[in-house]
Amino acid sequence: MKKGLMAAPIALSTVALVVSGWGGVASTAFAAAHVKHAAAPVTITFAEAMSSGTQKTALAQLVKEFEKQHPNVTVSLMPEPSYGVLLTKEQAAVAAQNPPTIGQAYEDWAAEFAQAKAIVPLTPYVFGKGGLTAAQRKDFWPSIWKDQYLSDGQMWMFPFNKSDFVMYYNATRLKQLHLATPKTWTAFAKVSKAVTSSAKRDWALSIDPGNPTAAANGTYLWMAVLRSFGGHVVQKGKVAFNSPAGVRTMQYFQTLYNEGALKLGSNYPGQTALGAGRSVFDLSTVASYPYNVEAVGGKFNMQVAAMPSGPAGQGNIMQGTNIVLFAKSTPAQKQAGWMFMNFLAQPKQTAYWAEQTGYLPVRKSADALMTAYFKTHPYQKIAAESLQFARPQEPIPGLQQAIGYIGNAVTEVLSQHTPIKQALTQAASQAQEALGGQ
Amino acid sequence: MNRRRKRQEAISAYLYLSPAMLIFLVFTIAPALFVLYISTFNWNFLNQSMSTFIGLQNYTHLLTSANFWHSLLITLYFVVGSVPIGVFGALLLAILLMKPFRGRGLLRLLFFIPYVTPIVATSIVWLWLFNPQFGLFNALLQLVHLPQIGWVQSERFAMPSVILYTLWHGIGFNVIIFMSGLTTIPSELGEAARMDGANAWQEFWHVTWPMLSPTTLFVVIINTVGALQAFTQFFTLTGGGPIDATTTTSFFLYQQAFVFYHTGYAAAMAVVLFAIIAVLTFVQLRLSRMRTFYQ
Repeated sequence: MKKGLMAAPIALSTVALVVSGWGGVASTAFAAAHVKHAAAPVTITFAEAMSSGTQKTALAQLVKEFEKQHPNVTVSLMPEPSYGVLLTKEQAAVAAQNPPTIGQAYEDWAAEFAQAKAIVPLTPYVFGKGGLTAAQRKDFWPSIWKDQYLSDGQMWMFPFNKSDFVMYYNATRLKQLHLATPKTWTAFAKVSKAVTSSAKRDWALSIDPGNPTAAANGTYLWMAVLRSFGGHVVQKGKVAFNSPAGVRTMQYFQTLYNEGALKLGSNYPGQTALGAGRSVFDLSTVASYPYNVEAVGGKFNMQVAAMPSGPAGQGNIMQGTNIVLFAKSTPAQKQAGWMFMNFLAQPKQTAYWAEQTGYLPVRKSADALMTAYFKTHPYQKIAAESLQFARPQEPIPGLQQAIGYIGNAVTEVLSQHTPIKQALTQAASQAQEALGGQ
Repeated sequence: MNRRRKRQEAISAYLYLSPAMLIFLVFTIAPALFVLYISTFNWNFLNQSMSTFIGLQNYTHLLTSANFWHSLLITLYFVVGSVPIGVFGALLLAILLMKPFRGRGLLRLLFFIPYVTPIVATSIVWLWLFNPQFGLFNALLQLVHLPQIGWVQSERFAMPSVILYTLWHGIGFNVIIFMSGLTTIPSELGEAARMDGANAWQEFWHVTWPMLSPTTLFVVIINTVGALQAFTQFFTLTGGGPIDATTTTSFFLYQQAFVFYHTGYAAAMAVVLFAIIAVLTFVQLRLSRMRTFYQ
């Protein structure tokens, strides 16, 4: 019965979380817009989820390099095992009024933090004295630069680890069937039909449609197709995926499913089916590359191509996080925090980070530093070039959760034969209600 | 002197109890009261000063929400689907496992092992067993020429799949409880019944079963409360889907509190769920007492 109140200890657990793992920064000083780089020693904390593999070692190396260049600044990393845990810890720390100096954040996290006045805008740092020159600002990929703004027109984030979607495919199989790599969704549908055989138990693509608890790759793929058909997930602040473009998108998925070319699953079904040689495609982020290579295990030639396009172009979804500056830090910490995030995004550092981790460089000039790397890792070049088409999710608090209702609609239409308009209207209404709060 | 001694004993008793009571107060009672408090607010957990008092609005919204009532129905489905089979299946297994036969110890161990495994870890293994394209269960169905099913991917079979997993994981505990209940029944009662000409079924129905009624009551209550609160297997196996087919009230509460951050609303749901469990347990106790035989 005690557990009947499972939502109970929010405040207490918040405090416990903070006490156990988030000691350190404590200040209530207000941030001045233009604080000079103080010579006095300053320690900043960085809440991040780059806690394993090459991400961990590369970040540690970048911190070392930064501290070497700024001997008065110490960067204390606060690694978390996943984005889910990171969000919980950041929220708990904010609730306990003891946040880190800076932290990784998705767009909707930032919107939520900004709404609660837990972070500060970066506009004064970026455009102010000691900020970026016009040329430096232009050096960022426009889609990434735009991603740093919230709807109030202020810049609240600074780019860090970005990725986008690519198409993995079984090149051996396409060659056997004399099929070309699809460049449009129309071609993708044709190829998908051609590779599907119920007798051989082969199909084109497996997706996890996601649900309101957790959006999945299938949710993002649906959104990408919607965008390439000219639709919007949110338009003028309202959920809009039940538009005619949404209906067309769902029809596209329905046709693939009815032909046996598309199957629904969970737990990375695209990667599993591709790796098992049963499906031909997996549409996923470029960060999945090493996992897909492992799943394929050399059984066939796996290649990477850009996401197919629709009438409105390539509707790629930008993935990965940015960095935010929390409001409770001292002015000196804020200044040092800004310096550190700026350092990470500089061409040399972003190129190093991309080469080490598989994320994408956030600045155009970094590509020139990565020429040799792109030669040996052509898929990275494809993904980097796709960045110009990639758009992030709209920075609306809770949108990440609300889009999960698309997953419900996909499942309803494909496996329950619910009329498309009815399923989309219901999903849109539930998503809108979820965004509205109680 | 006697009174003074009694008082000293009482003080000592309270002192010994105080650490446990303090923990209970701080980590159970206080958070429970806090939940009651925040259920009357539109709660902003990131900035509590931005929270607004809204009285009973969360409760009215909850009681008029189709999603909440749907989650209650799904919970009822899970309770009805898992508790009777879990209880009576365990009773049958316990009776069989009390009979002497070769390998009995190993079999008892095999039934109990799932209970001590972590739900998250075994759920993930079962997720693969349930996989429609690559899972063992569909491979077995194919082997015997039966149509393959979607298991946790299917709106129709998702809940039966979770119930199947829950029974596999939890039945060992019930078996152990029933076995301990069976060992406490005096053997002379059965002997007397057999001397009076009772067959095996009559002995079970008129002697064993009534003597096991306190154990059965305990198992039924524990299983019902457990089923009402079940969360982890839903989180791992289905995520409440597909299309809310497995969104129980506990899962819906989690979703509102920790996915959508409708903290006040979720707190109101926690209070209502607490009341439901309390009332159900009370009713079960009252009804069962009338039919429970205590030695």
